[in-house]
Order: sequence, then structure tokens, then C-alpha cells
Amino acid sequence: MSTPDTRPPAVVATRLRKRYGSTTAVDDVSLRIEQGEVVGVLGVNGAGKTTTVELVAGLRRPDGGSVRVLGLDPRRERSRVRQVLGVQLQHASLHAALTVAELVGLYRTFYPRPRPAEELLELVGLTEQRTVRFEKLSGGQQQRLSIALALAGRPRVVVLDELTTGLDPRARRRMWAAVESLRAEDVTVLLVSHTMEEVERLCDRVLLLDAGRVVASDTPAGLVASAGAESLDDAFVALTGKSLETVE
Amino acid sequence: MSTTDPHTPVAAGSPATWRPGLRSWLVLTVCEAKMVVRDTAGLVVPVVLPLLILVMSAGPAADQPVTGGYTALDVYVLPLVLTIVLGTIGVVNMPSFLAYYRRTGILRRLSATPASPAMVLVAQVVVSAAQALIGLAGALAVAFGAFGAHRPAHLGTAVAVYLLAMGAMYAVGMVVAALAPTPNAAVAIGLVAFFVLGALGGMFGGVSTLPDPLVTVGEWLPFGATVAALGAAWAGAPVDPTHLLALAVTVVLGAGVSATFFRWT
Repeated sequence: MSTPDTRPPAVVATRLRKRYGSTTAVDDVSLRIEQGEVVGVLGVNGAGKTTTVELVAGLRRPDGGSVRVLGLDPRRERSRVRQVLGVQLQHASLHAALTVAELVGLYRTFYPRPRPAEELLELVGLTEQRTVRFEKLSGGQQQRLSIALALAGRPRVVVLDELTTGLDPRARRRMWAAVESLRAEDVTVLLVSHTMEEVERLCDRVLLLDAGRVVASDTPAGLVASAGAESLDDAFVALTGKSLETVE
Repeated sequence: MSTTDPHTPVAAGSPATWRPGLRSWLVLTVCEAKMVVRDTAGLVVPVVLPLLILVMSAGPAADQPVTGGYTALDVYVLPLVLTIVLGTIGVVNMPSFLAYYRRTGILRRLSATPASPAMVLVAQVVVSAAQALIGLAGALAVAFGAFGAHRPAHLGTAVAVYLLAMGAMYAVGMVVAALAPTPNAAVAIGLVAFFVLGALGGMFGGVSTLPDPLVTVGEWLPFGATVAALGAAWAGAPVDPTHLLALAVTVVLGAGVSATFFRWT
């Protein structure tokens, strides 16, 4: 093989399925992410983005299919995967009465080679809030802390569910810079996003989900081209519109 | 067959099994303690409620001799009050804390790290044991300082019984935390369990008015067994082995059930 990257893939998901009651959240999703790739997951609400990344992270048990992260089963080899996988969850809180510094200090102890606390706080811009309790932080600050904790263990694969939703423009640019620095460190990033600008700017590749299925997987430019669209926005409409058309 | 693995072998350079060390357990325990201290309301019940009951019944009980120089305060009220300290902490407080963690997603977030469920549970147990010690010290200080209580005839036995009882109350609390579907359910189930155990164990006065089968059941349940065993140790009487057995069985069953059913989310 003369391919530049012969390392095993960072993430392989094969025919993932997940139902909640009568709702099929994820329907036959397969994906492969190479090490060092930054991949965006796009889709409307209810498209299955969060369920997909939670299945990848081993936080939910798939009804069918399988997941490997760096060759490991995230549920059966939980503790090994947890050391190399950092996760920012959309609906997860932290100990409300603990301060930023206390939480960072706590989460650092969970990993064998943690990133220095100062570096984590600097990365997400919370150095000045280090003595503030979690419950007193703004929503955006809580989210940035959550991202810092996802990076506490120097993960090789990071799953970020809603990286910048609800952040002001300045904080958003800071989070983008944080993802760029992860890319520079050859960290694999899987990020759920709602904004085309974010995906175009950060991602090597986009997975477009609709109704629990992957409807497209390409570079942002490739997606635009294959949809015959002028922008990623138009491509999104064209691609998800196509699948809606088949329903009619 | 789902046991066959269609995937490539484990990636080269993949991590060896590593678990958070002692420092992590200590830091987590300190964090849990800070949570409890900063939530002052949670501290009131296990410390103030038993004191209130003690103060209300200690006066008359201290004047009522029972056996060998020991009063009703020594062999009945104090064991009861100390058991209430354990019950409020183990059966009511701890499950509600854990259920709150589960609802807010704190346990879910921790489950995405190499931290194990056991770490959170152990940290909670350690912190609530410290609360129990505070409640115990407060009740003993008032009983000895203000009401002239006597020290237990068999101090070592009393301490051993207390530790075993602490384990049994936690075991009940862990079962509540493991089985309750929601935080509200955890609080409700915890309170009901506490009052049922308490009622059958004599918390609302003597059990002599209860039907015999209930009295027997009450003595086998952790609350009644603790009160009876502590009272015996205090008076210098031999502790009924069935009470100790009952507590030990509660510990084993509770640990097994909660370890099996405890969920992160």
C-alpha cells in the first residue's frame, strides 16, 4: 500500500441501528473516519446526529451494527476507549457547586497523562473564571468548560456534540481555534454542527444525516459540487430535499 | 451470532488498561464533600432531626431506670436516635444525591471518562460516613452533656454494631438509588423506606401495639435490628445473633442488587 496513511481508522461504524420505542433514530448508519480527520455531522433536528455520535462514543447500546474506536469496542473495552476518547455531551451537567478549577482538577485525575489545567482553561478562555462555580457560569461558559473537560486526557479522538451552539461570535472563534489546534496535534474530531460556516471552515469532510441515514459523505466542496449547488447551504437543501421527495 | 468480530484487530499502540488511581478517588471524595457542605439543606436532616428527637424524649427517658443502672435514654432513646442518623443519611440522603446526579447528567458525563461507577459510589459512601460521624458526635455530645447518659457497657460491640448498621443502611440506600426511575421517585422511595423501616423498628414509640408478625419482621429489618443490637450492647446484654445476621444479610443483598441494577443514565 502506498497510501499516505496506513494507520488503522480512528472510527469505524458498521450498519448502526438505534430505536427509541417506535421511533428509529439511527437507521443503518455506516461511517469510517481516518486518524487526524476533522469530520462534521450535519442534519436537521431529529436527523439522528446526537444518537450517532453517542453510539460512536459507546454511551448508548446499538440495536444493531457495531462500532470500533481505534480498533476498540467502546462498550466492551470501555476503560481502554475512555482513555483515548474525549466526549462533550449535549445534555450533561457537571457538579453544580464546584468551581471551574475544581472540576478541571477532578477530571484531570481520571486520565494517565492529563493536559495541564492552565492550558485547558486558556484553550477555552476560562482562565478568569477559574474560581467561579459551575452553576454561576453562563450557558456559553458552561459549554466551553465541558469542551475543556473533553480534552483533559489528551484524547486521540474527540466527539463534540454542538461545539458552538449558543456561543457568542468571539467564543465561537475561540472554539474554532481550539479545533484547529487539535487538528495540528493530529487528533481526530467528530463534531455535530448546525452552522455551515463552521463546517466549511473546520471540517475535512461532512456527513449529512437525514431521518437516521447518511445521505451524503464528502468534503464540503465536493458536497456542493455533487449537489450542483452554489453553497453548502444550497447543497444541504438539495440533498435532504431529495430524500424528502422520495417520501412524498 | 454476534460474538464474532468483523473488524480488524486492535490498533497498534492502543492503550493498555489503566484505571484512575488513589489520587483520583481522593480528589473525587473531596469534591463530593464540597458538594454536600455547599448544599447546607442536605446537612440539616441527618444532624438536626435526630437531635430534635433526642431533646424531646431524653428528659423523661433519662429518669427511667431500665437495667443495671442504665436508663431508657441509654438503652432505648440513644440507640434509636443514632439509628435515625444512619437511616436519614443512608436511606434518604444518599439515594437522592445519586438520583440528582443521574438526572442532571453528571453520572452520564462521568461515564464518558475512565472513572468507574464504583468511584462515585465509594466517594458518596465516604462523605456520608463523615456526615454520620458528625450526626453521631452531635447526638452523643447532647446526650452526655445535657442529659447525663451513660457510656455503653460494651463499647467495642456498640461500635461494631454501628459500623455494620451503617453498611446495612447504605445497602438499602444503594438499592433505592439503583432501582428508582427518577430523582423524585428516589426521594419518595427513600422516605417511604425510611419511615416503614423506622415504624417497624420503633421510631414512633414501642412496637408492642403492632401485630406479632410485624414485630418480628421489624426486628429483622435493618432499623429494628440496629436499635435492638445497639440497646443490648449499651446495657451489657448479649447481642442477639439474629439481629447481626439480619444486618449482614442486608449488606450482602443490597450490595448485590445495587451492583446489578445501578445505571448511569
